[in-house]
Amino acid sequence: MANKTDNVDEVLSPWAEADPIPSRGISARVNDLAGKKIGLYRNGKRAAEPTLKVVEDRLKKKYPTATFSWFFNARANEAIVDQEAKGEFENWLKGVDAVIAAYGD
Amino acid sequence: MLANYGFANDAESASRGKGMPVMRIVPTKVPCEASVMEDIEAGVDGALNDIITALTKPLTAEEKSPKPKEPEKPARIIFKGSLEEVNRFFYQRGWTDGLPIIPPTEEAVAEMLTGTDLPPDHLLGKLQSRLGKATVEKIAINAVMAGALPTYLPVLIAGTINLLESEPGFMGYTTFGFSTGSWAPFWIINGPIRNQINVNNGSGAFSPGNIANAAIGRAMGLIIKNIGGVRKGIEDMGVMGNPMKYTMVIAENEEDSPWEPLHVEHGYKKEESTISLGFPQTYLQHWPYGGDAQGILRSVVDNMPRSMRYTVVFTPPHAKNLAREGYTKEKIKKYIAENKLVDMARMRPPAGIGAPLPGAPPGPMPKPGDKIPQISDYRFIRIIVGGGPGAFIAHLVGGGATPGKKEIQKIELPKNWDKLVARYKNVVPNHAKY
Repeated sequence: MANKTDNVDEVLSPWAEADPIPSRGISARVNDLAGKKIGLYRNGKRAAEPTLKVVEDRLKKKYPTATFSWFFNARANEAIVDQEAKGEFENWLKGVDAVIAAYGD
Repeated sequence: MLANYGFANDAESASRGKGMPVMRIVPTKVPCEASVMEDIEAGVDGALNDIITALTKPLTAEEKSPKPKEPEKPARIIFKGSLEEVNRFFYQRGWTDGLPIIPPTEEAVAEMLTGTDLPPDHLLGKLQSRLGKATVEKIAINAVMAGALPTYLPVLIAGTINLLESEPGFMGYTTFGFSTGSWAPFWIINGPIRNQINVNNGSGAFSPGNIANAAIGRAMGLIIKNIGGVRKGIEDMGVMGNPMKYTMVIAENEEDSPWEPLHVEHGYKKEESTISLGFPQTYLQHWPYGGDAQGILRSVVDNMPRSMRYTVVFTPPHAKNLAREGYTKEKIKKYIAENKLVDMARMRPPAGIGAPLPGAPPGPMPKPGDKIPQISDYRFIRIIVGGGPGAFIAHLVGGGATPGKKEIQKIELPKNWDKLVARYKNVVPNHAKY
């Protein structure tokens, strides 16, 4: 540890200012998954597809009347709404009642 | 949203950054990059009730309409204290790289700002991940903290522009600044500024001991941390981490190179100065099989690990031997790309679960023994000249820009540049004889 000194400095902050990002809420939930169409949104990471397949399998057993629809974002590091597939994604969203997304690695 | 436990904070930060601070995130014990079904099933089973709850539990008022966030405007003068107290305060805020910093006083920052004609409040852009405002003053403050000299400020401004303009998506800073791969920013400086600010390109260029190499890379790391807001284990998800993140800076030895320097390859004039950016994950060195072109190049091919982008550093004698046998930089790149072959079968996960590894060709599983080029485009390779006496070759292997996308930035100098250089040029180590 450095020696204590009598010199006292006023120092400037290295932490940058940032404008607030407008916040929005999340979509309303469904009361029950029975009979609902559940969206499964995956990225291209190795575990995403098999993980969501297991989720689909488990939910099918628990809610036999639920149906499932998949969406694949091959460019995991780019938000789908910033890609040319934005329209396709938004159309897909209109056709599902709830979405489960796999995030990260 | 399902996320591995270790990614829950990262997922929350990413959601907040996209304006959804109340996203419902369900942590799971599915291992990252899992390819074993038992692990995946156990992870999903453990989280299934939480998944159902996240989909069906009615929204709270905050989830329906989160409170707007206040603008983040830290006080300009943030602390007053002794050297030790300033260091403790900055460290506890997470603003350092763990090493002691130089206190960024008003006077020290004013001296740093003599390195540019731009006003302190000039905004270069907003740096990911928190879109922090990259003003010239914030760059100068971080430069002081890193121990930089004012003559490095033009380099740091250009380096910051390089980050800001890095290609979006998978091959740019938005991946390699954050990814589990622990990619480290690697800066190559070309042009006259190399010698004016004493960037080492010779003996032990990548070792500690030269203030330019040390402080430029360190300052860029602090800029990423304090302007970009990239926090280890939250946005920077590097699994193993990387000591190159302290600093990884070299100048190309243009004087002793038989080839055109890197910036000239990119269309700049030799008398212009530039800073180039790459994101290697791995640094390795090896000896050549021989000093002739075949001995050098075969050893390079044999030692090149699998990755996406490659920088090879040849010493001046090796470069001259290669050039004497007719090898240009482009011819070397093509030789490596054509001769580095890998077994196709190893590019697939063994159980066939999940996506093929990057670079794996589409189609049916290959037969054992089938070979493909490891490097699909010779432009993924960069060649520079550097290093001191001796016969070792260095590789910096990892990520970097798509050919033709942003990876190099011209360094703009202030009007008083010659005076500034004269003032700081003699800041060099003078070792005692013993």
